[in-house]
Order: sequence, then C-alpha cells, then structure tokens
Amino acid sequence: MTEATALDDPTVASVPAPTCLEMTGVSKQFGGHQALEDVSISLSPGRVLALCGANGAGKSTLVRILAGAESADAGTIRVHGSEVSIGAPQDATRLGLSFIHQELNLVPKFTALQNMAMGADRTRRSGVLDLRGLRRKALQVQDRIGYRVPLDARVEDLTVSDRWMVSLGRSLMRDATIVAMDEPTASFTKEEAERLYAIIDELTADGVGIIYISHRLEEVLQVADDVTVLRNGRLVGSFAAADLDLGSLTRHIVGRDVAGVAHRATDVDPTTAPVLLEVAGLTREPRVRDANLTLHRGEILGMAGLVGAGRTELARLLIGADPVGSGTMTLDGAPYRPRSPFDAIRAGVALVPEERRSQGLILRNSVSSNLGMASLKDPSRRSRTYSPRRAAAIAREAVARFGIKATSVHETVGELSGGNQQKIVVGKYVLAGPQLLILDEPTVGVDVGARSEIYDIIRDLAAQGTSILMISSDFEELAICDRVVVMREGTITASVPAARATKDHLTSLCFGTADTAPSDPSALDTATLTAERDPS
Amino acid sequence: MTTATIDPTAVVAARPASARVWRWFGRYGALLVLAILVVGTSILEPTTFATYDNFINILNQSALSAIIAMGLTFALVTGEFDLSIGNVASLSGVVCLSAMVDQDISIVAALVLAVVIGAVVGLLNGLVVTLMNVNALVATLGIGTVAVGVNYAVAGGTPVGLPDPGSFIQLTLGRFLGIPYPVYMMLGLAAVLWFVLNRTVLGQSMQAVGGNPVAAQLSGIRVERVRVFAFVICGVCAGITGILLASRTGSAAVSGGDSYLLAAFAAAFFGSAVLRDGEFHVIGTLVGVITVSVGFNAIALIGLETYWQYLFQGLLLILGVGVGSLARRRAAAA
Repeated sequence: MTEATALDDPTVASVPAPTCLEMTGVSKQFGGHQALEDVSISLSPGRVLALCGANGAGKSTLVRILAGAESADAGTIRVHGSEVSIGAPQDATRLGLSFIHQELNLVPKFTALQNMAMGADRTRRSGVLDLRGLRRKALQVQDRIGYRVPLDARVEDLTVSDRWMVSLGRSLMRDATIVAMDEPTASFTKEEAERLYAIIDELTADGVGIIYISHRLEEVLQVADDVTVLRNGRLVGSFAAADLDLGSLTRHIVGRDVAGVAHRATDVDPTTAPVLLEVAGLTREPRVRDANLTLHRGEILGMAGLVGAGRTELARLLIGADPVGSGTMTLDGAPYRPRSPFDAIRAGVALVPEERRSQGLILRNSVSSNLGMASLKDPSRRSRTYSPRRAAAIAREAVARFGIKATSVHETVGELSGGNQQKIVVGKYVLAGPQLLILDEPTVGVDVGARSEIYDIIRDLAAQGTSILMISSDFEELAICDRVVVMREGTITASVPAARATKDHLTSLCFGTADTAPSDPSALDTATLTAERDPS
Repeated sequence: MTTATIDPTAVVAARPASARVWRWFGRYGALLVLAILVVGTSILEPTTFATYDNFINILNQSALSAIIAMGLTFALVTGEFDLSIGNVASLSGVVCLSAMVDQDISIVAALVLAVVIGAVVGLLNGLVVTLMNVNALVATLGIGTVAVGVNYAVAGGTPVGLPDPGSFIQLTLGRFLGIPYPVYMMLGLAAVLWFVLNRTVLGQSMQAVGGNPVAAQLSGIRVERVRVFAFVICGVCAGITGILLASRTGSAAVSGGDSYLLAAFAAAFFGSAVLRDGEFHVIGTLVGVITVSVGFNAIALIGLETYWQYLFQGLLLILGVGVGSLARRRAAAA
C-alpha cells in the first residue's frame, strides 16, 4: 500500500498525518540499569529533530528500539499516525524508517550502485535483478539530493563522506520517509559537512523527517528544527531550536546534578615528576589531528571526551597498533615510534583495550593462560620454553593480588563475571611490567565492587611509579586522576587539574562549550594547555 | 595446554546432570568411537585383529598420515588452512629421488633436502598469507598448484625410480626391536611437536593467535611471524611425509602424496573432538589418524569391499566433529 504508492511517487508529500513518528512513554531496562524511563519524542514530516545528551544518556538505546534492534519494556510507537510494533530491523525498513550509523553498513567490495541496491525491491518477477531499473532509480536518488557519487566505484575506494552518501542513497532507494543519522559529520571535513546540511534541506523540503544525533552542539542548533534532550535515560525536554543557544542547551544536557569533588590518592604532586611520555602533533586522519600530550612518571592522567572524539584511536597510535600519519612521540627522553604492540610492550607501553571480550581475552582459555599472554617472553628468562606449572604459580599470585574470583586458575575465563574478566585483562598487562599503562574505558560493564578493585590496582601502580593514562566516559570516576585532559574532534583541547575536573566542567569542555557554560570559567585550563604545548 | 586440566565438575557444578553428560560426551565421545571399534573388531576377528603384530601394523599404517596431519595441526591451531600439503609431499618425493638419481646424493642428504623443500614452500605460504594478506585457502591452493607445476617440470610427469633402491627402502621397511622405523619417527615427531605446541613460547603464541588474533596482537604477540612459523612447520612435515612415501616403493609418482591432503584434514578435525572442546591438538590428531587406520584395518580383516573405507572415513569425520559440536551446544544450553 504505502510502499507501492511511495515507489511511484517518492515525494510522499501526500501523507496526511501531522507527525510521521511518535514514540510515547518508552522505557527500557538492562539488568538493573534503567537505560530509558518514560521517554517520548515526536517528529513531523519535513522537520529535523535533534537528539542530544551526554554519553549514556539513552540516545542510542532509543534509536536501537526504533530500529528493531532492541525491544522496549513499555511505550508505544506510531508511524504516520498508526501504532506499530517493530520487532526486527525488516519491520523498520518496511515502515520507511532508515538508519545511518557511524559504522556504515556497507559491503566494501561492492560498487556504490550494488550497495545502494541492497534491500531495494527491484527484482523482475523471474527473480532476476532489474539492473537498468536500479541504475535509473539510483540516478534519480542522486539527483534528488543534488550530489553524485560515482555509481560504479567500489565503496572501499570512496572517501568517508562519499561512503556516507552511499548509505543515505540506499535509504532513499528504499523510499525511506524517516531517516535517523548518528553522528554523520564525525569524520567529515567542513566542506563535506556543509554539503550534508544542504542535502538535509533538500530532503526536508521533500517531506522526509530526520532524526539527527550529534555531539556538536553548534551544528545541532544550525541544522535542527526541534531538539529533544535526554539525561540519564530520562527526558529533560523538547525545545524549538530557535529558542536555544549554546549555553542553555549545554545546561539542559549537563543538568544541575553536581558531581563529587575529585580526590586524589597521593600527597606529592606527580605533575612535577620527570616527564615519561611526550606526544607532539600526533595525527592520523580522520580521527586524530595534531594531538599533544605530556605524561609524568607516576601520574594518573585521565582522558575525557565524547564517544568518537578519537581517544581510542589515539591510544592505538601510542601502542603502534595503527600507523602514525605524522607527529612525534618521546618516551623517557628517547624517540619512540612503535610499529606494533610488540614494540610497545617491549618499550614498556601497554593498552588495556576497550572491548575486553573481543580484544582482551581468549574466552575459551584458562585464567592462567590469559594472564600470561602479554608476558610469554619474559626478558628475565633466557629460555623460550613454557612451563604450565610456572604459569599457574604466577597466575595464582596474580589472582590473589588483583582479587580475581575464580574457582581455580584453570577455570575458563568465558565462565567468569564481567568484573573478573576485566581484572584479568588489566592483570595481564600489569604482569608485563609496563612503565606506561593505558586503560580504555576500564570499568564499562563492571560491577561496583570490581570497579573499586580496579581503581586500587591503578592507584598501586601509580604509587610504584607507573604512569597511567585512563580513558573514560564516566567523568565521575576520573576523580582518581591527578589531571584530566579533554579530547575533542581528534585533538587535545584542554588540560584540567584534578581539583577542577568536575563532571559538569568536563562535559562542557567535551562539547566545546566551556566558554558559555555558566558555572566554570575556563581561562585557567586554556592557560595550562598552552603551557603544555610549549615545552618550557 | 592448561584448559585440558580443568576439573569439569568445578566448572559445571551448578548445572544439571544432562549438561554434565553432554559435556562428557563432547570430550570423550571420539575416544569412545575408537574404543567401540577396537572392542567390536576384536570380538568379530579375535585371531587376526587383536594381536601384537596387527597392532604394530596399524601403527605403521598410521605413520605417514600422522606425520603430515600433525604438521597440518599447526596451521589449524593458528586459525589457518593449508591445502598445499599433499602437493608438497608429492614434490618432496619427486625432487629428492631425482636428486638421488641424478646427483647421487646420500639418503641423509635427501632427507635434509625434503625438510628444506617443505620449509621453503611453508615459508612461501606464510609470506603470501601475512605480507600479501591473501586468504589462506586461496594462498595455499595457489602455492600448491605451483608446486605441482614444478613437480612436473622436474620429473616430466613420469615416476622417478631408483636403479638400486635397497637401502632407501630400508628407511621405511627396516625394523628396530621388531618395530618399523616409521613408527619411531611418528612417535618421535609427535613428542617434539607436542613439546613445541605446549611447552614453548612459540606454541603458546600459536594457540593465542588461533584463540583470538586481536587479543594476541594487543598482548604483544607478533601474530604474522607466528603464522609464518606455523606454515613452515606444516610444510616441513609434508616434506618428510613425501620422502618416506617414496621410500615405501623406492620410486616417487608425481601425484603420490596428493591423497594425503583430505586424509590429514579428516584426521585433524576428528582429533579436535578428542579430549578438547573443538581445539586442534597434536595428540588428538594422532588419535584421529589411528582411529581411521583401525577402521581400515577392520574393514580389510572382516573382508568388506574397499568402498567401505570411504564410507567409514566420511561418516567418522561427520560423526566425530558433528557430535562433538552438538554435545558442546547441548552442554552450554542445558
């Protein structure tokens, strides 16, 4: 019905309902965590609705429910006026909903046209693809958005923004009337972003409703007609973009809850200790651009930032997991340019990766084999042999030291709780004896008890002179740091001493709106940063 | 490796009895198949099957398959495949015999040559897979096909025979304490390879790479180097198998070793269901090869037609791997 008419007339201007999408009273619980509570949003045809909120505010959960990737515990969804249930992604597609995520769901080896054709209903009755029809339709779609990507180019050869356009093209091939865009401009240049804004104008003029998720608040205010703000899974409010400015929007996002004041473990100030790591102008497009960083011996340095700010990418550069584009690194006064994590660990730099199950552990292997993985080649031993008995003894010691709860060191790690798994990943790298330990979101999905044990491990290491770089999106836990730097859009934009690293202040810095944030003057932080950039 | 020593009752203590049964079945089912075969044939053919001589005979029959399959196990452990091993075995036999005929090299030198040929092909496989980032199936298929070409170029497509093969044949026919040399070689290599895989840093690294390459890389393991080593070990074992095969008849056929490819894969996969939860390991592969040999031996003694061998080997593979995998899923679900 709607599908058929839409095929012939893609403008969909005839939709009678005043709203094209309404979500009412949506709640969702994960385990004991209330991810969404009684959230409602409403989108009208031809409008752009921005969803705003800090990390973990519930934006992604809401979108995943809409996409059929999660099911809501409560609440209703109406599309073009009629109530629908979206149990699977196909349902969402059939209803004209389309999603363009940050990780584009494209087949790299396929051409732009093949990718756009996926899921578009263009087979002849015999089951054979109507290639000419698909091409005609793809050209129509490109005319509609006023931008052309070469249809026969392989997607892997396209730029990031062109790939994004292919993804958008696919949505329109399926006659989407509601398009959700998640951080579309995260990897775009300024010109590419401008082009996207123009395309959004074209689409809304056609009656398409757009859900726009972005951490860039200036952009949100420029692009959106309406703004819905979420905080900690709850609706803060829905506003007309015209009534908002950067300051008020930031206030809505951050809220008034004041975080506990930072407290540090040490009396001595580690920022006066000798410098261990110096990073200057480190760049790897598109996610890391001209990043500068100084880390002292025994210092716990926090790194705040929004998801997609480039923190994980920077960490991977520091351990040689990805090649550096340009810039220099100095470790302990000597040039440092690891070509692989092997080089990094030999130089004493280790990364506790973000995804513990896929990047940190061999789930089917034992506790002892996982704990030993980063220190198989023990430089203090000449022998290249491996003794399970010795490995088990070391593992037993580590299990006691890190408070890992397992029935024995021979237990399979896949059977342990998330907190214990994480302690094993951290412990694995501690056993490698690093002088710099980088931890990427070390407490995500970890229970409170294990969390504080991980903090204890970090504090102990720092007290023994190991430098710590802790990436975290949980700004309250950055309280254990001596200093916190903020990464935004690929570069380090601020350095904040512990005493001033409150949740509100860091959040404002992450959004780049500290100047307009009412509570904290940021002059001092900028001064600190300038001092850091200029080694004097 | 350490996972084998987990006390299963500690792990599944909280689980119902059915999970424990399934888990037991997943771990010991493959050995159960071997036991049933041995007991069954012993009852059917007590005078011919259950004798010391036949036991040694079965081991001797297993030796060449076991050597090539244990090598393949290393490629499989690191998460790779090697389709070139059969061709490498053929190439090794033909080149070594040609060198013995034309250059008059000694048997020891020929053995060394076989090892070198295997190592070179393995190295090529490894480099194509790691440096050129070609899928292992494609890379080893390509390198294996090139090996066939080289083989034909060397031998001209005709079998290479030694004019006086007497002492060369002794390499496989000779006996020490009544046991044929190949049995010693199989057991000796099994011990060495078991040690490499379970008691060296390299072997642990291989298991880590096979278990989770991303985690292994971030743990400072040089994943690509480890993979190359695995291919080299795999190639060397194939090379040794090739020259021993030629020694059995005193001549090398251009495609003599090709049939070992599928037999080795079957044995290694069946072996992954032995004692471990679907992990490849040296002892498992050895048990796999011996199970196949016992079956073939039984088929011959009972007097069944040859096609039963294929039926048996195919069914064994599917049952061993399929039942093992099913049992694991049931154990996890229960």
